[in-house]
Parts: sequence; C-alpha cells; structure tokens
Amino acid sequence: MVSLSVDGKRIEVRENTLLIEALLSQGISIPHFCYHPALGKDGNCRMCMVEIEGQKRPQIACDTLVKEGMVVRTKGEKIDRVKRSILEMELINHPIDCPICDQAGECSLQNYYMDVGLYESRLSTPKVRGKKHVDLGSNVVLDQERCVLCTRCVRFTEKITKTHELGVLSRGDTSVIDTFPGEKLSNPYAMNVVDLCPVGALTSKDFRFAKRVWFLQSEKAICNACARGCSIFVDHHKEKYRSEKIYRYRPRFNDAINGYFICDAGRLSYAQENALFDAQAMIRGKVSEYDYAEGKWLRLVKRYLGKTLFVLSSSLCLEELVRLQKLAKLYTIKLSAYEPDRFDECFGDTFLKCSDRSANARALPLLGIDDTKEGFQNALQDAELIVLIGRHDVALTFDAPCRKSVVVLDAGGMTCEAVELMLPVASHTQKEGTYVNIDGYVQYSACMIANDKGRKTLLELLGTVLGDGITRAQEVWEEEIVCLEPFKDLSFALLPSTPRIVL
Amino acid sequence: MGVKIVPRHGKTLREKLYLPAIFGGMKTTLRHFTVNLGDTPQIKTFSYPEEQPHDIGERYRGVHRLTKREDGSVRCVACFMCATACPAECIFIEAQEREDGVDEKMPKRFDIDLLECVFCGACVEACPCDAIRMDSGIFSFIGKKREDFIQTKEQLLAREAKENA
Repeated sequence: MVSLSVDGKRIEVRENTLLIEALLSQGISIPHFCYHPALGKDGNCRMCMVEIEGQKRPQIACDTLVKEGMVVRTKGEKIDRVKRSILEMELINHPIDCPICDQAGECSLQNYYMDVGLYESRLSTPKVRGKKHVDLGSNVVLDQERCVLCTRCVRFTEKITKTHELGVLSRGDTSVIDTFPGEKLSNPYAMNVVDLCPVGALTSKDFRFAKRVWFLQSEKAICNACARGCSIFVDHHKEKYRSEKIYRYRPRFNDAINGYFICDAGRLSYAQENALFDAQAMIRGKVSEYDYAEGKWLRLVKRYLGKTLFVLSSSLCLEELVRLQKLAKLYTIKLSAYEPDRFDECFGDTFLKCSDRSANARALPLLGIDDTKEGFQNALQDAELIVLIGRHDVALTFDAPCRKSVVVLDAGGMTCEAVELMLPVASHTQKEGTYVNIDGYVQYSACMIANDKGRKTLLELLGTVLGDGITRAQEVWEEEIVCLEPFKDLSFALLPSTPRIVL
Repeated sequence: MGVKIVPRHGKTLREKLYLPAIFGGMKTTLRHFTVNLGDTPQIKTFSYPEEQPHDIGERYRGVHRLTKREDGSVRCVACFMCATACPAECIFIEAQEREDGVDEKMPKRFDIDLLECVFCGACVEACPCDAIRMDSGIFSFIGKKREDFIQTKEQLLAREAKENA
C-alpha cells in the first residue's frame, strides 16, 4: 500500500495504480475525457490535470503512477485556470448545439463547463466545420463537430472488439473520427461506443430524439436476452397521460459478469419488453376483465387438482421457480421446463453473448426441475390442464393425445381460441427476481416498473393460490431459498455483491 | 433579531367614534358617484367586449405562439427546455428528424393545453432559440369543448405577434 495526500486528506491505495484511478476510487471528481477504466490511459485530452508538489508544471493524473508521500492538489485557483484553458481549447470548434444533442444532460463537456468553465468565448474566426449526423452503421450516428478526439471509440474497436473499424483521419484542427474508407461500423458490440463517448459525437440512432435524458428514471436490472445475464440499467419514463415506457437499456458496471459493456442485441431487447406492456387478459381469444380472469385461473387450478402440468420457462426467476415447486408439491402438479428453442447457435460468441438464450436455466438442475423432452411428453399424456408459465409456445401442447385445457400465464404474446385463459403477468422489468447466470453468478434484478393495468406479478398470483401471503423476493429468500442446499451460504442481503455458486 | 415596535392606531377619541372615518369614506364614494352620473370620459370602465382593452403592453403574457425562421420554417428544435421549465406540465412535445435540411431536429407534435397553463412565461424564458413567445396579445381564449384548448403546433405557428406590440 502507498499513502498519499490529496487536497490535505491522506488516502491509501495499492501500489502501481494510476493517480486518476486512486482519485476516482476515493470519490474525488476529476474531469477526464480519454481515460476509461476499460480502455486504460491515453493521455491525449489533458483534462485530468492535477498539481503535484515538487513538479514544476501540472501533471495529468491518468499517466502518473502513485508514489509514497505524494502531495496532490485537485482544487484551487491555479489548477482551475489550467482546466479552464484546456476546456476552452476543447470547445473552440464545438458547435454548441446542445438543444438538438441527445447527449445533453449527461455530457462531460456540459458538466465540466459548469464546474470550471463559465467563460466568454474569445473566438473571432469561423469554427472548423465537420460532417454532421453521419450514419456509421450499427445504430451509431456520428457528429464530427461535437467530437473532442478522446479516441475512446477508436480504442474500443481496437482493444475490445478487435474489429478496427474506426480511426482518426487528417491532422490538426481538421482531424476527425470516421470509419475507414468503404467500411461500416459492424460488430455485435458497436453501440457501446455511444456510452463510451463522453460527448455527443456518437449517439444512438435507436434513441435518437426519443427522450431528453433528464426525464428518464434508471432502474437496476439484469438483461434476460441470454444466459450471461449482463447487469443493465433500465431507463424508463411515464409521460403525463401515457403509460410507462422503456426508452433504452444501458450497461451497468459489473466486474464479475459484463464489465462495462453489453451486446447490441441485449441493448435493443427493450423494444420487446415495451410491446408486452399492453397485453390484456383473454378468455378463449376474447378480452376479459383482469380480476375475472384471475378468478378463473384459481378455479381451474382447483378443478384439475392432480391432473395438471406446469410447463415452465427457464427464464423465470429463482423465487418463482421455488414457489411453483412448492405449489406443485402441494397440489401434485407435474413440472416440466422443456424448451425446444432454448439454444440459438448463431447467437453465441467468445465475449459476452451465449448460445443459451435462457436467463435462468442453471437454476433448473439445482432445484431438480426436469427439462427433458421425454419427461415433458410423458407428463403431457395424462395431464388435463396444461399451464404455460412465462412462455406462450402453445403449439407445443397440440401434440397431446387428447383435448386439454391450456392456460397461459405470461407477460404477453399471441393467443388464440384454443387457449382457455391467457392471464398476463408482470414482465421481466416489472418484477423483481434472482437469476443464476451461465457461470453460476447469482444476481438480483430489482427493476419493478409500475404497471397501470393492474397486472400482478407471478409471485403475487402464487401467493394467493398458496394462501401464505408471500409476494416479495426477499420473503421467498428468507422463508424458502436459504433452506435449499445449493443456496445455503447465501442470503438476500448478499445478492448485490454478485455471489457465485457451484453449478 | 431586532424587533421594531409600531405604534397602534385608533387610540384617540375621534378614531374610536368611527363616524368621522365613515363619513370621510362616504364622501369619496359620493364624489365618484356624481362624476359617473355625469358620464364623463373620466370613468375607468369600458364596455367589453365591444370595446377591447388598450393597456395590453409589450410584456403582457397572452396565448403562446411559435416563431418562424427567416425562411418561414419552424424555429423550434424540440429541445424540451420549455416542457422541462413548465410548472404546470402542460407542454407536450414529440421530436422528429428534420427533413428540410435547416437543422437536425424539429417537433412532430407541440401541444400546449391552455386549460392547464398558468401563463407564467417560464417556457418563454427557458427557450434557447426564441422559438416560443407569448406576445400574441390574446388575453381571452374561447372554446366550446376541452379539446379546443389544446393548441397544436399548426395553430401556434399560424399565430402572429400583436401589432405594434
């Protein structure tokens, strides 16, 4: 450990850390463009200047290693003047079109200008113009005028995806970021450059003009597009007189799983989620009141006691699976989680994407839930009521030898007259829950976007059937999950630290 | 904190009698009454709506309008500053890509609900493009149903500033 003094305060950090990392880890705000923890230092923006005692001139914090007894100053008249000058230079050719820029509200340039800038422009010559709203491909829009040439995007395609599509072209004040001639930005992680870009130079075509960012509320969640279960932020907003809507997913830093990035497919999967928000309760293809449909579900479960098959989705959360298992034991219901379309061989890669598209399939063997085809077909033989939970692939039940009643408990999806009852339940972002990812990391998704359709979560529905009033994930953990062998070392309070279990 | 003691009025006999003050007030009323009976131009009323108010100045906050650029296109770029500043949350904007090449962004929908609006002028203050103004001089807005009070982008754009305002 090395101890150093920052603004008169002693801090202890590990040896060989960069000064900027030491400062940021202590929660000291230090303006920077080019440094990013995933991409390392580059030292080109000169924004992270600090005063170090014994050094003649201010130094950049991102290219200085910590030393024992170092005395660092990040505030003060002198260092603010240096920062202001650098910011003034970065903003010389900036178009200042914040009113039409999607980054406005989460833009480093705006924030730093309010912190240390606040000067009058001294520019008397025309600004250097660049290309505006260039479609780079992969949903990324480039505005060369807004760019500060921090090269985070270039280094991302160089170091992370190793696809090398982007580069800095030309020299001096005409130098710009662009794709190499004849090339397009085309890799499955390309939209991460939008998050990496500290200014409005790279913006998302998908989010373009959709919402000003200060209206958005962020919720911590887990992506359910594949078995990786990347940590994400769900940005949603309820406009006046409208229903809740999700506007984007953003990666949430999680060192164990996804680092700072997510794939584009997962990022854009919010659109499916939005489509589920208006699903209505249906009885034999006709729209029904939610309360009436819920009553019908309770009646059906009781009527077919002992002759029921629950066909589960492997993307249900751990709490729901445990509660369903309890219900199955009580009412002698057969459980099957057979999913023919679970694997998508074209989807997986070596970075984050997995061919297994199920969010929680690792929990099935841990709980002893059968997911084989034979098991499913055997159970189908003598079941009279088939309940599809968390899925709506009704066609699967058509192979059954005799006529069955089919009930769907899912967030949404197509339904037909053959389906006795379709009862919409809260979708992935409307319910909390725990998921076990492909490497055995257990993660809790806390995102519970309110729904104004009176729709219940599966846990609430099961709480009514079981009659014990347990409706929240924490209660299920405390009452049931901690008693299970694979989860005995865990507790609900431990989940934010992403614990790992043996699969 | 220092306390300032103010002497209380109404302690003298004249003030306790009340009547002198009442007669003093009646005198003023009677003076106005006699002047008005004579129907002189000194009367401070006018016969609205035949006669319209003439004291609506430059800074009067009337019904909003959206301004245009020199080429006649909409000046608003749908930055949502007005909607953010609005305390009544009565401005409803949807943005879209601009096709006319003047800029990048423009409002697809720009509605102001005049029934919710409190005419505070915060939207005008907040606008970075001088795209919204309240200088139409319209102080009374009439509609037959609630929907009439939702001013659309087209209606707001068609409105002009008050003459010699």
